Amino acid sequence: MAEIQEYEAFVRDRARAVSGAEVVLTLRDLAPGRHKYKGINVRAVISETPLEGEPLLWLRSVVGVRDSSPCSVRITEELPPVFDAPPYTDYFKVTEALEKG
Amino acid sequence: MAHKDLREFTEALQSGGDLVTIDDEVDWDQELAGIGRLSCERDGPAFMFNNVKDYAGWRVLANPVAGWRRYAVALGLPASTPVREMYKIYSEREQNPIPPTLVNSSPCKDVIIPEADIDLFDLPVPMVHDGDGGRYLGTWDLVISKDRDSGWVNWGMYRFMVHDEHHLTGYPRPNSHLGKMLLDGYAPAGEPMPIAIVIGADQPSHLSSTATFRMGGDEVELAGGLGERPVELIKCETSDLFVPASAEIVVEAEIYPDKIAQEGPYGEYPGYRSGEMGNSVCARVTAITHRRDPIFTIDTTGFMDSSAVTTSISGAIAIRRRLERYDIPVSEVYIPPESGVHMAIVSVRRGGPDIAQKVIEILTARRALMSKVIVVDDDVDVFNMSAVIHAFSTKCHPERGTHVHTYEGRANALTPAYSQDERVNQLGASVAFDATWPPDWPAGSTPIRATLDSMYSQDVQDRVNARWNKLGL
Repeated sequence: MAEIQEYEAFVRDRARAVSGAEVVLTLRDLAPGRHKYKGINVRAVISETPLEGEPLLWLRSVVGVRDSSPCSVRITEELPPVFDAPPYTDYFKVTEALEKG
Repeated sequence: MAHKDLREFTEALQSGGDLVTIDDEVDWDQELAGIGRLSCERDGPAFMFNNVKDYAGWRVLANPVAGWRRYAVALGLPASTPVREMYKIYSEREQNPIPPTLVNSSPCKDVIIPEADIDLFDLPVPMVHDGDGGRYLGTWDLVISKDRDSGWVNWGMYRFMVHDEHHLTGYPRPNSHLGKMLLDGYAPAGEPMPIAIVIGADQPSHLSSTATFRMGGDEVELAGGLGERPVELIKCETSDLFVPASAEIVVEAEIYPDKIAQEGPYGEYPGYRSGEMGNSVCARVTAITHRRDPIFTIDTTGFMDSSAVTTSISGAIAIRRRLERYDIPVSEVYIPPESGVHMAIVSVRRGGPDIAQKVIEILTARRALMSKVIVVDDDVDVFNMSAVIHAFSTKCHPERGTHVHTYEGRANALTPAYSQDERVNQLGASVAFDATWPPDWPAGSTPIRATLDSMYSQDVQDRVNARWNKLGL
């Protein structure tokens, strides 16, 4: 049986992330091996109750506190590895702006 | 004279019992750093990991100079050198900078990886703490950058995290020297900023990069002075920056003037992982060079890490010099490593509220890294925390002795006490605790300390000390 893919993501506004709307965020790939923790920028929809067939997603707060149980995530679009914004721009505001299109 | 490279330094540590080698396989994912973390918390040794899971052929050295013994060896001194003596030696060497020399070849170019072949996950970058934003490549590093307009070269120690195969994100504070170079020069011009992240160089070069040093100062020459030998430099492959030829690994990169990615959070030197993530820089790696059989170095950042002792010395000396420039009658300054570089003890020849207020204003004028300063009279040994706590607890008036200074735009975003809003806007405050006697108190009514050196005649003191020695105590 294939292993279920797992990611983690750091969010400032958890309620917004799990609202069911499409969000922009950086997933960290938790697959064991050399590339563990690789970052992938995506558009995705997060389901607070994990949905069958979707990769699991562990949400963490801005100080790294992990939720006690995982969500699941459906990636709708893989985005470029970096976002257009001047240095030191608030990452969360940039991703929020991208969500608004 | 300091050791010429990391390998000579680690041999010296090992021969003195300050380095433990582990040949069993250790996981780069938290286990390796966890061992280093425990060692910091127990004042233990450095560790050399010879068998890192997934990374055959690489070695990892954890916490090269966490602790005073290893700091002494880094300066080429006996490991038992007293802290006050190290302060004195550092201060003297800092005043005798030695220019670098240039070389054309070095083992740090044994392996050259061009941009097209780079995969940052080929480096044994550990996951330092569970819950960090990613794997931190730059923890005990040396980041070299050059001012776009003046050509001034900055050496600093800044954290950098692996984002993906080709990109790093980092958090040199916006008001750091590197941050200012980027924000004042390269970013407005829309040009990428070349940097070189050096790992595993001679230790004086790393000490210099952690030093609290003036803007425009020559940290290369400072490294030469600290090590009492010129630093050998060699040119980068993809920029005109020069790096220490003693390096084990060099990661050449360009910081984007117009792009970012997620960085942090990270368990930092104050001993906490605070919510400072969200405002950082992003770099594209342009080349990696390294020695054969390379040694990757890390600092298991947190309470009593390597930066705790390195900035204790350089920060305290910088504070003393700064206060002297402003005519504060400063005698000695000590930064206790246990404070996470947040507290300084300043002894003065003449104290009082005006001096305490001036001290806190001077020390927060540009960058406010210290959040607490205890000002004591110069009969208090600043290196003796028992004496400092006694003076603070008994002489600092709870109301008149507390001098709070607030500021905006220059607070330390890593200070755990700050809220998320304060962190983002760099709002903060520092406080001076005046533990000196008010200068207007007459000597005849100022309390006398009930210690042997204050409340006994010299004759009695001499007799007591003689008897004490005779008893072999």
